[in-house]
Amino acid sequence: MVEKRTRGGGPSAGIPKVLEMKGVTKTFGSVTANDDVSLVLHRGEILGLLGENGAGKSTLMKILYGLYKPDSGTIFVDGEEVQIRDPKDAVRRGIGMVHQHFTLIPPLTVAENIVLGAEPRKGGALDLNRAIKETEELSERYGLKVDPRARVADLSVGVQQRVEILKALYRDARILILDEPTAVLTPQETEDLYGTLEELVADGLSIILITHKLGELLGVSDNITIIRDGRVVDTVKTSETNEGALARLMVGREVLLRVEKGASEVGAPRLAAEGIVVLSSTGATAVHGVDVEVRAGEILGVAGVDGNGQVELAEALAGTRRVEEGRVYLDGEEVTGLGADERQEQGLAYVPEDRSHKGLVQDFSLWENNALKTYDEPPFSGRFGRIFPKIMRRRAAENLKAYDVRPSDPDARAGSLSGGNQQKAILARELSGDPKAIIAAQPTRGVDVGAIEFIHRQLLEQREEGKAILLISLELEEVRSLSDRIVVMYDGRIVGEVGPNATDEELGLLMAGRGSGVGGR
Amino acid sequence: MTARSGSVFGRLLAGAGGALLFPVLAILISFAIGAVIILATGNDPLAAYSALISGAFGSPAAIGRTLVNTTPLIFTGLAVAVAFRAGLFNIGGEGQFYIGAVTAAWLGVSLGFLGPIALPVVLVACVVTGFLWGAIPGALKAYFGAHEVITTIMLNFIAINLTVYLALNPLRGSSLVPGTENVAAALRIPVLGFGLGRANLGIFLGILAAVAAYLLLWRTKRGFQIRAVGLSPGAANYAGIPIGRNTVLAIAIGAAFAGLGGGVEVMGVYGKMAVPFVSNVGFNGIGVALLGRNHPFGVVLGALVFGGLFSGAQEMQFQTDVPLSLTVVLLAVILLLVTATKLVELILGKRARVLTSGTRLERGLGQ
Repeated sequence: MVEKRTRGGGPSAGIPKVLEMKGVTKTFGSVTANDDVSLVLHRGEILGLLGENGAGKSTLMKILYGLYKPDSGTIFVDGEEVQIRDPKDAVRRGIGMVHQHFTLIPPLTVAENIVLGAEPRKGGALDLNRAIKETEELSERYGLKVDPRARVADLSVGVQQRVEILKALYRDARILILDEPTAVLTPQETEDLYGTLEELVADGLSIILITHKLGELLGVSDNITIIRDGRVVDTVKTSETNEGALARLMVGREVLLRVEKGASEVGAPRLAAEGIVVLSSTGATAVHGVDVEVRAGEILGVAGVDGNGQVELAEALAGTRRVEEGRVYLDGEEVTGLGADERQEQGLAYVPEDRSHKGLVQDFSLWENNALKTYDEPPFSGRFGRIFPKIMRRRAAENLKAYDVRPSDPDARAGSLSGGNQQKAILARELSGDPKAIIAAQPTRGVDVGAIEFIHRQLLEQREEGKAILLISLELEEVRSLSDRIVVMYDGRIVGEVGPNATDEELGLLMAGRGSGVGGR
Repeated sequence: MTARSGSVFGRLLAGAGGALLFPVLAILISFAIGAVIILATGNDPLAAYSALISGAFGSPAAIGRTLVNTTPLIFTGLAVAVAFRAGLFNIGGEGQFYIGAVTAAWLGVSLGFLGPIALPVVLVACVVTGFLWGAIPGALKAYFGAHEVITTIMLNFIAINLTVYLALNPLRGSSLVPGTENVAAALRIPVLGFGLGRANLGIFLGILAAVAAYLLLWRTKRGFQIRAVGLSPGAANYAGIPIGRNTVLAIAIGAAFAGLGGGVEVMGVYGKMAVPFVSNVGFNGIGVALLGRNHPFGVVLGALVFGGLFSGAQEMQFQTDVPLSLTVVLLAVILLLVTATKLVELILGKRARVLTSGTRLERGLGQ
């Protein structure tokens, strides 16, 4: 993914420890999120904190940042035992956090955001000039280019992240925690970020990088601490490990990182759109006249940075969002005027990008969720608008077992399942109906490595069975390894089509809207 | 996650047991707090509570009064509960109840010539007018974004004043007591007898209505849609379930129950719509639904608690120096505990969290 950079990674002996967590345990009810976790961060070190979703990484960092109180365990900063009761305590100790979801106020300027809560004052009022000056100085010192007067709302995600980092530095952070920082970045932006991090550690900062992506850490970290089921499994030197070994430590078993793609017969177009224009929820045009055509037996990947119209495109194809202009075809028939329910009945499956607010009714049981779309069709429903829960439950039990959902108890509340199992439950519902075409939007977002492997295998199986699959993903590796063709979306348009062997650079340029100018229409 | 016991019945019982435990605890705690208040006012809590209970259930006459109090609350409780399943707060039960009542008072007189067969016609008409009245805030919410709490409250004033106007003007009866003409005796809902006083078959209509609401919510496509919309509009939209239509229907169906309740009150208890008419049944329906955890069967039990407290309070005031208003305190504390689940967790400790989780009843009974 990212060019491998060899960092020092030498023995840590002699270098002072800036942070040490010892025997930290945190339970929520009967769930142990952190079990006797110990971790050491040295000055000038980039420490990767690797673990699957739900392994306890975020809980641990929230304890460090004072958002949770540990049941037991001690924290040392610069060798001194400290109590961190709230984020203010953490900031005072020089700990800064860059959250996965930014905590910026969009209408305010960069400088205003950076000083917010710790404003330089002149008399009683905010000294905006000093705020701007200090932002400029900070920006220059660490090579984090920002315009202090720009409105945050107008900035790209990568620059917003820079502002978040500056915000922590403004508060004199010496220990920086970054939670899944690359989730929203293009490959080039990721490269820039890593460059920044190197400069920060060269300046004496220490960094903890939380991620569930294996490849990322190899290029940038010195050491990697792996957490599984709330426990520290191991801490390894980055220079002495590789992806396979890390995956094994993280999951606890052998995993196939790259799925084998078999041959497949490509047939007639099954899902197609002609010049569709779609509005976003705010009323802005999100999709500007896009053509796509997915044929039987192929996976068409849609790459792009989040927020470039992918969600709206998927919803318009699925029938949950209005198409303003253009046409949608399913298996050769126009379905532009049909709703989601009718398109589903005609053989369209849709794995939505947001499983908690769209894919599942969290407070429904699994059997109700399994029938979320087919409750109104036989054998689940009969005359007089009746539905038959018994049949629904029985069918759900079969589906859950077939798709390895755990627990497979149809009476379990959907919201009680882990992310990976929720996703499998959605897959079970969407794929079991033998659809003709499948829209899979970020099917592996936030799920663990084991579930990713399973989901990828399922999609490839569907491909071999001759289904047409539209795969929308923010993960380049996923798009490349599964797709037969890849189109890139930028600013609501399809800006180019490449093969599955396209390089990071090719894709990255297209994703940043700097492609060869292949129009959407 | 769910407790699995052998039979469907066992599962139902386990679910109901878990769901009941929490409201019962809330009632017990509120009685304990009430006892302190009674003591503080220099009275004997044991004497007061035994008078309360005997006033509610101690004799056929007492039971009769309790049933008369309970019946309308079942209907207005259902009005809240059904809408709540779609994620909507129907505060308009009072007005919807009045609309049903005036419909019955009008048709009960004008269709009197048909004899007893007109009773079902009258009651169906109450369902229809309640439904249509409820469709107004439903449509305002679904298609114009007007918040249902505001519109249903406002429509209460319109409904109450409109029906009072109708009862005192075009429908004004000849009796000295202000209100409508008496409905034809043949159309009245038969009383139960057994010394139960004015208690009538309306209580069974209430229970039937609860069963109907249950079947609607858990055994029909419409109910599936309403519940999906209530729990997750995003997922409902994703599944192609129309949110607007279900919003209108959920309030309207709830209002139809309240309308029927108004009709049952007129045809069963009073035989006319007197002015002033019974008040607060709509608002108490909110408390009934909360106590019943917005489940139709819970609503029946909640209505019985409210109904029993209201009739028992009279006896308590009569026999001891404890005033009627103590029941208001008791109800307030019960509702406070039922709604402020965090408070109960604070009192009873973390273990109580299991009891306060809102979906238990639904999972236990809704299968």
